[in-house]
This record gives sequence, structure tokens and C-alpha cells, in this order.
Amino acid sequence: MGIDGAYPLLFVIWLVPLAGAIVNWAFGPQLKRSATIIGSAAIGIPFVATLMAWNAATQSSGAAVGAHQNLFSWMPGFDFGLLLDPLSLIWALIITGVGFLIHAYSVGYMWSDSAIARFFAYMNFFVFAMLTLVLSDNFVGLLVGWGLVGLASYFLIGFWFFKPVAVAAARKAFVINVVGDVAIMFAIFMMFAKIGSITFANVFAHVGALDGWLFWTCLFLFIGAAAKSAQIPLHTWLPDAMEGPTPVSALIHAATMVTAGVYLVARCWPLWNASHSAQLLVGTIGGLTALAGALLGIAQWDIKRILAYSTMSQIGYMIMGVGVGAYQAGVAHFFTHAFFKACLFLGAGIVIHELADEQDIRRMGGMRSRAPVAFFAMFAAVLAISGFPGFAGFFSKDQVVFGALEHGHPWLYAVGIVTAGITAYYMFRLFFVTFFGTYRGDVDPEHEPARGESHAPAWIMALPVAILGIFSVIAGYAMIGSNPPWSRLFAHTFPSENLPPVAIGEGWTTAILFVVMAAGIAIAYARYATPVALANAPARLRLESERMPAVLVRLFYFDDVIDWLFVKPSLALGRFFGSWFDPDFIDGAVRGLVTLSTELAAVVRYFQNGLLRSYALIVVFGAACFAIYYALQGTVR
Amino acid sequence: MRPDLLPVALANYVGLASVIFFIGVAGVVVRRNPLIMLMSIELMWNAANLLFLAFARAWLNNAGHIFAFLVITVAAAEAAIGLAIVVVVFRSRANVDVDEVALMKG
Amino acid sequence: MALVLILLPILAGCALFALPRGDRLWSRVIGCAVAALTFELPLLVGNDGAFAVRWLSRPFTASLHFAWSGVSLWLVLLLALCTFCAIVATNVAQTRTLIALLLLLEGTMMGVFTARDILAFALFWDLMLIPPFFALVEWGTHRETAWRFLIYNFSGGLTLLLATAAFGILSGSTDVIGSTHQFAGSWAPWIFAGFAFAFAVKTPLWPLHTWMPATYADSPPPMVAVISAVQSKAGLYGFIVIALPCLRTAMADWRWLIIALALVSLLYGAFIALTQTDTKRIVAYSSLSHLGLIVLAIASFNPVALQGAVVYIVAHGLFSAALFLILGYMEEREETRSISKLGGIGANNPKLAGAFTIAALAALGLPGLAGFAGEIVILTGVFKAGYLWPALIALVPIVIASAYMLRLLQDAINGPVIATLPQRRDLTFAEALAVAPLLAALLFIGIYPHAILTAVLR
Repeated sequence: MGIDGAYPLLFVIWLVPLAGAIVNWAFGPQLKRSATIIGSAAIGIPFVATLMAWNAATQSSGAAVGAHQNLFSWMPGFDFGLLLDPLSLIWALIITGVGFLIHAYSVGYMWSDSAIARFFAYMNFFVFAMLTLVLSDNFVGLLVGWGLVGLASYFLIGFWFFKPVAVAAARKAFVINVVGDVAIMFAIFMMFAKIGSITFANVFAHVGALDGWLFWTCLFLFIGAAAKSAQIPLHTWLPDAMEGPTPVSALIHAATMVTAGVYLVARCWPLWNASHSAQLLVGTIGGLTALAGALLGIAQWDIKRILAYSTMSQIGYMIMGVGVGAYQAGVAHFFTHAFFKACLFLGAGIVIHELADEQDIRRMGGMRSRAPVAFFAMFAAVLAISGFPGFAGFFSKDQVVFGALEHGHPWLYAVGIVTAGITAYYMFRLFFVTFFGTYRGDVDPEHEPARGESHAPAWIMALPVAILGIFSVIAGYAMIGSNPPWSRLFAHTFPSENLPPVAIGEGWTTAILFVVMAAGIAIAYARYATPVALANAPARLRLESERMPAVLVRLFYFDDVIDWLFVKPSLALGRFFGSWFDPDFIDGAVRGLVTLSTELAAVVRYFQNGLLRSYALIVVFGAACFAIYYALQGTVR
Repeated sequence: MRPDLLPVALANYVGLASVIFFIGVAGVVVRRNPLIMLMSIELMWNAANLLFLAFARAWLNNAGHIFAFLVITVAAAEAAIGLAIVVVVFRSRANVDVDEVALMKG
Repeated sequence: MALVLILLPILAGCALFALPRGDRLWSRVIGCAVAALTFELPLLVGNDGAFAVRWLSRPFTASLHFAWSGVSLWLVLLLALCTFCAIVATNVAQTRTLIALLLLLEGTMMGVFTARDILAFALFWDLMLIPPFFALVEWGTHRETAWRFLIYNFSGGLTLLLATAAFGILSGSTDVIGSTHQFAGSWAPWIFAGFAFAFAVKTPLWPLHTWMPATYADSPPPMVAVISAVQSKAGLYGFIVIALPCLRTAMADWRWLIIALALVSLLYGAFIALTQTDTKRIVAYSSLSHLGLIVLAIASFNPVALQGAVVYIVAHGLFSAALFLILGYMEEREETRSISKLGGIGANNPKLAGAFTIAALAALGLPGLAGFAGEIVILTGVFKAGYLWPALIALVPIVIASAYMLRLLQDAINGPVIATLPQRRDLTFAEALAVAPLLAALLFIGIYPHAILTAVLR
């Protein structure tokens, strides 16, 4: 895994964002808006460095296997190093590339926030943490990055720390992510105990040594992946995380951090390939999450929450892909998703910014004229996420769904197809309700932003969205052809298999997906975009929100069940221990000892009457007893 | 034992010492005046001293003499401290009845 | 040289009483200088600073034998550092007296950590209980707490002394710490029980912990910083250097009981910390939980876990000292310890909020800070030793820790500003200086924990 050597560029990739974070954090009050330049440069430089490092590595080795740099021994048996192989390359490029665009966008989005330097410090820190995660060559280093991205996510969700909702969401996200962290920790225990090493190379070379523990290792690794990637049942933090600023949602909760689970599963493919039951588990959870996220997306009205559920659903696809063994397809979907989802979030951010922080799509409408760049870019992205032929999502989603069938999971194949239809429906619902018809809110089109006196130039937000929109179209072309660049890149990374042909060919799959998607779009059009629907939009939307099934509004009761199963019992136990068991029972026993000694003392104190002469008498009495004793003995020795 | 060294029989010393000692004991137990009690304690010390000296002479062992000196020293110190306490107590309550000085009772 | 570590603080502490009562400057200067010297000394002196004279010949041989090496070196450094930080942070009425008590505490605890003879260890063990007692009497709100601390811990000191005497008589010598002497025989379980009781009270281990929350809540912050950070480690140190090597078989026989108690401590402390409302009590119960983890590591008899335990001992010392000092700062500003009355500190006191955040994150085991390094290595070792379920159960409190630490952190520094007092000020230079070394050390050990082991294995 990677050619050993000295690669100073890896340090540049890894540490420049950290330096940016430190500078912005330490000198934030002095830097003010200049922090945006440092913050953006700290992400742009690593992007270039990543490309250069990759070039250097491929040139020196002649093949796409990557670069490996040893760092230091963290603890005996825990050796750290940096690894840039095709898998981490793709992630590093997305983190720094899309990350750079989002940083640039943030310059405009956060312009009037007084804590802009702190924002860029946190964002830089996040990129550093995420790079630690993907560049690490071992599980503990990965776990360090894993925890640090959770911390960055915590800081950024709770960035507006005076909002109690944001603070609560940040705490929830962090605690659920710690569940994932400790699960990975436990997987590390098993690997360390059975294999004696924590580096990827050693672990994957000795998968057999795990024997009976293999499934459990996979299971615990996947619990970690599920917590980070918002897979059922650990997904409940992701929609709440939308309380953070929109660029944060785009970078952390859509493009990069939440896909860490996909990275982990793809990285550990030798483990999954060795355990069929683990593959089945991961694929099933991924498929279920894809379906559940899509269903929940139907019932939401908050533009960012719709996107959050769509993120959850799309990551479900990726997890399904890497879970069933279609690793290239899963990673490809991550790659295209990063562009179109970031584009959707940033476009939504422009709309939200335009409407003075309104996020409810029922109070939007007609935004086509007010935010044209967002309209066109998001149109491309919505087509991409729906899987419209020719757009980025089409190629990758197709591969994932077909991969499920190819690897022998017809049920997951069916789930993937159904979900694709629902996805097209709710994404176009979002699109039509937001951009078509007439404006239904009450923000004056000529309004000046309330939160600050000055404005950043408009292009600074529009340009990144436009670029991402373009990539939402073209990113998929890396994956087509007879020997596409994508497959060449991963030729040495993932196993090549000869799978038996399946009943439904790839062409048919594409056709079925297209029909289902078209049906979804058609239903959305009929409900939201026909002239009749647009004319009666306010009344129809109100009616729809009143008739929304409770099971969807309550989000399949996941929050309630988790609350009822874990949170409430823990608090009850804490109260029971803290206010009765500890002070009354345990300490009661201690105080009982004290009472016992006091009672004994009451008996003894009877003799301590303070009369000197009675003490003397007792002494005499004692002496007399001795004398009599020895007299009876007859001798004093 | 050589009779010429001890003209008076040892039993007499022991008897006298016992009498003095028990007079002292009775004094401590019966009297309530601390001065008298201190004097009674002195009597007990001296009864012991008498025995030390008598037996030292009888057995020709100087340890008894040495102990007698030790006892005298300790007794002097004890008397000094005792009297000091008495003076302090007298100052604070103008009364030196030991039965009344019972602050330390349990 | 080890004798200097003990005598210098004690003499300086006594000398401080000669200063006028109201003195604030000179006592701090002297205190800081002494603490800094005791920190520097072991680093400057190349050897282990051994000092030994024969103390008793009968009924067993005992020596006044002191030296630092391995684990004890780290505890000596931790103690000196925490004392330094506590003295810098001292800001109470009667500063002079508190600093004098801190120095006396340092000197006596130096005796505990450098003693190479169990009898000397036991002697200093009892002595180290005296300064906190007087601090509780002077600054605490309930006299009862002081007595509870003293009697509870002295009862441990008593069993320690009895066990030491029995050990000495039966094995002929108590000068055994750091040697390979092993004691076995029919008395060994009882002797171990005597030691273990003392160590368990001091650590504390469930169910012998009820002196702790009240003591931690009631002591002045600098004193509780040293007690929780370093004095509680005396019990763990005892387990590592006395029980583990000298009474190995006896301890192995009792290990399931110890593991069970450690796990109960872990869970019990975590659950209670989840619902407490007093800031210091939250951290006190979290200490119960965290120290349970170290006991688990020691009882697993695994070298990897033991390495982790050493790292975690230092880590816990650093972050609990920092947390208690910072909680002290907040209490002083807000005049309350109830988290429901705190809020919004971050808005006006960014430095205080930042320091608190780092300390709390270290306590909840954030990767990259020292707590994580200890936790993962300990549990890896525990698992490797074959304790599947204990390792799995021990993960639960880590999750709960993140919940209660974030609750404490967020309720205090986030949310709307609850202005109980008109004036709020950020950390002063002295206050920042007191926590900065602790936080820096947390970061350094988190990134490169190997540094500690290199010294231990030297």
C-alpha cells in the first residue's frame, strides 16, 4: 500500500490547513476579514500539493499505488504514517477542492458575521482533521481524525452558540459520533489483540488471523461508519446539524465528513470481502437508509432539512455500493455526490441569504428571477442527484444499483430503483416549490441585509456555485468508456472480480432507472408545477402540510425510540444513583458506622465523669486487682 | 545477704514503705484539696524511693540509687507542673476543689 | 537529592507562616520558586536521586530510602507542576496560609511518591492527609466534610500501617519498592487486603468514594486541583509499585473483585455525573469514573494496559487540575456552582471559555489530547489480556462522558448570557499562566504519548 519514502508534500497537504486554523484562531480579532484570505489559501495550497504529490508518487513508482511516509511511533505497537493512495487521493482532492470552493463561498456568506475569523479557523481545522482521517495509514490515526472531524462538526454546528437549538444539535451530533468512535476503538482492540498491529497494510495482510472475530470487527467498524455517515439508526443527528451555517452543511454535512463511513468501508474492503455476513449487513443498512432518507425527504419543508435527508439517502446508496462489494461504484457516487450536493447546499444558501435567513420552502417561490445563478446551478444539480442521463449522478448511481444486482442482492437492487424514483420526486418538489410560481413570503425584494452594513460582491458566492454546477454535469464522464480513467485509477486498489452475468443487464437497469426517475419528476410536476398548482400554491401547500402522515412527520419515531431506550433510562439511573443510592444507601452505611461508634462511645463516656478522685479510685482498684492476682499466683516474675 | 550491711531487717523497710504508700493513696482518693493531693502523691513517690534504696543496699546494686535520683527529679518536675496548674485553676475560678474541675468529662 | 524534594517544600511551607497573615506577594513568589525548583530538580539531576539511611533494624529492617525513577518520576513531575499551577492560581482570603498548606502537601506527597520503603511510604501517606484537612477546616463550608475526609482516609492509613507491619515482620524488610521482591504465603491475601483498602479509599474506588464529592466541592480550588490531580494517584501508585510487584499472587487472586469494582466505579460515576447540577460535583464523579479505568488497567495484569495506565494517570492529573482551577475561576466570577445559573461565559470571556473547552475535551477523551491516548491503550491492553466484556463495558462510560462533559461545558459557556454579576472579566495573566502549562502538556502527551513511556522504560 503505497511506496515508502520521504514525501514532504504530504506534510504540506496535511499541516497547512492546521497552520491556517491556528493563525485564524490566534489572531482572529486582529485579522477580521483578512482571515478569509488566509483561510481560503490554507485550503487552496493543499489542493495543489495533493496533485503534485500524486504526480510525484506515480512518476517515481510508475503505477497508481501511491505514496507512504512514516511519521513516528505514537505508542509501542502504534506506528503512525501518512498514506496517499488512489482512495485517499480522491477524498483529499474533494476535501481540498470542493473545500476551497466552499471556503471562497463562505467569504460572501459570512461577510457580515463578526466572528468570521473564528469561522474560518474552525473550517480550516475541519479540513485538517478530515485530511488526518483520510491520509492516515493506520486505524488509530484514522480514529484521531475521526474524532477531530466530530469536534470540528460540533464547533461549527454550534457556531452560533447563543442559539439554544444550535447548541443542543451540536451536543447531539457529538455524542452520537462518540458512539461511533468507541465502536471503532473496540474494532481496533480486536485487530490489535489478534493481529498485533494497527496499520492498514499489516491488518489487511493478515485478515485470516481474525478468524472468529472477523464479523465482529466488521460490525464495530461499521457502527462507527454508520454514526459518522448518518446510517440508520444513528442518523438522527444529521438533520439537526443543519442548524449550523449553510457552508458548513455543504462541506461537512454533505460533501466530506459524512462520507467518512464510505471511506472506512472502502478502505477496509479486505475485511468485508472476507465476511459475507458483514457485507450483507452493511448493504442492507445502506439500502434501508437510502429508502428511509428519501421517504423522510418527502415530508420536510425546511430547505436544508430536505437536503439533509437527501444526503442521508445518497450516502445510503454509497454504503450500499461499498457494502455489497461494488467498491468502485460506491466511491464514484461519493465523488459525484460531493459536487452536486455541495452545489445544492450552496445554491440553497444563496436563496436563504436572499430571503433574510428564511428556510421554509412554503414561504419561498418564484426564486428563479431573484437568484438566477442558484436556479441554473441547482437545476443541474437536481438533475444530477435524480440520475438524469448525462449528468454526474446518473453514471455513479447506475453503477451502484447495478452493482447490487451483480453481487447477488436483488432486493437491494429493487430498493435502489424505488429510491431513485422517490429521490427524483422530492428533489423536484424542492426545486419547483422554491423556484417556480410567485413569491409567497414577505421579504422585500429590494431589502438590504439586516445583519450587516456592508456586502461582499455577489460573484464571490455565485462563482463557486456555478463551478460546482458545471462539475455536477461533467464529473460523471470520468466513469464511462471501455477503460475509463476511474477504473484505471483504482486498478491496483480494489479487487477485480469476474462476476457471473445477471438476468437484467446494465442497459436494462439504466432504462428502468430512467423510467422510474421520469415518473418521479412527472408526479412532482403534476403536484407543484402545473399552472393550476402554481396558482393555488399557498392553499395547496398548507393542505399538504396538514395531511402529512404522522409517521413521516415524526421521522419514523427514531428520535423518540432512542430517547426512550437510552437517554431517559440513563438520566433516570443517574438520578436514582445520585439522589438516593449514593447519599442514602452507600453513604448511609458509612454514616451507620459513625452512629455505631457514637453509641459505643456513649457507653464508655459514662466512666469519664471528670472526677479526679474517681479516676484515682479506679487506678487503685486496678492495682489492687493486679496485686491480688499475683498474690494468688504466689510469685511475681 | 550480709546482715552487717543491713542492721534493720528488710521487712521493716517494706512495711514502712507500704504504710507510707497507702497513706498517700488514701490522701489522693479522699481529699479534695489539690495541694493535699499533690503532697499525697509525694508520699507515694517517697515510699517507692525508700524501697529502691533499701533494696539497693540489701543487694549491693547501684541501680536503685540511680533510680531514686531519677524519681526525685521527676517528682520535683511533677510538683512544679502540678502547682502551676493549681495556680492557674485558682486564678480562673477562685476555688480549688478538684471535684469542680471537670470540664474534660466525656 | 530526593530528600531535597521532600524537605524543601516542607521547610518553605513552615517558613511561610513567619510571613504576615495578609501577605499575598512574597508567599506566592516563594511558593512558585519552590514548586518550580522541585520540578526542575529531577530533570537536572541525571540519576534517580537516591538517598538511604537505615531506620529500623528490629523487628524488621526499614530504611529512609527515597529515589525517583519510572512511574514515580512522572508523579513527582506532575505533583510539582500541579502545585506550581495551584500556587499561581491561588486567589483566596489568606493566600499565605493556603500556599503554605500547598507546599506542605507537596512535600509530604513527594515523600509518598519517592519512598522506596513501604514504612516510609505509609508514614508520608498519613502526613499528606493533614494539609487538605486544614484547608477544608479553614475554607470549607461544612466542618463535617473535613472530618469525613480525614477519618475516611486515616482509616485507610490504619490498614496500610497494619499491612506494612505484617509485611515487614513476615518478609523481614520493607525496603522493597522498586525491587523484585515478591511476597507470598498464607498471610498474603490479608496483607494485600490491608493495602488495597487504603489504596481504594484514596483513589477512590466504589463503594469507598463517598468522602470524595463533598471534599472536592468544598475545598478551595487550588487545593482540590492538587488533591484530585495528584493525591488520588497515590492509591493507584500504591497499586502499581507495591501491590502489583510485591503481592502479585494475592492480587491475582482478588483481581475479579477489583475489576468488578472498577467497572462499577466507571459506570456509577458516569451516570451520576450525568445528572448532577453542581459543577465541581460533576467533575468529582467523573473522576470516580476515570480512575476506575486506571484500576481496571492495573487489575488486568497486562503490560500494554499498564503503559496506558501511566499515560492516563498523567493525563487525568493534568485535565482534572485544569478543570478544577477553571471551575474555581468561574465560581469566583459568577458566585455560583450551579450549572443552571451559569451561561454565556463564552460571549465575554473567550480565553476562559477556550481553556475550559480544551480541558473538558481532554476529559471526555478527544483524540489528539492526552486522555484519549490513555484510554485507547488501556483498553487495548485490557482486551488483549482476554477481558472481552470489561473492555466492552468500559466503552459505555466514554460515551456518557461526552454527554456530561458537553453538558457542563455548554451550559456554562454557551447559550444566552445570564448576567448574575455586572462585571465580568476574562482570565488575568496569572490565571492564564496557571492553566496554560497544564493544557500544553495535555496537547503534547496527546500527540506524542511515547515520550512518557520512554522515560518510564529508561
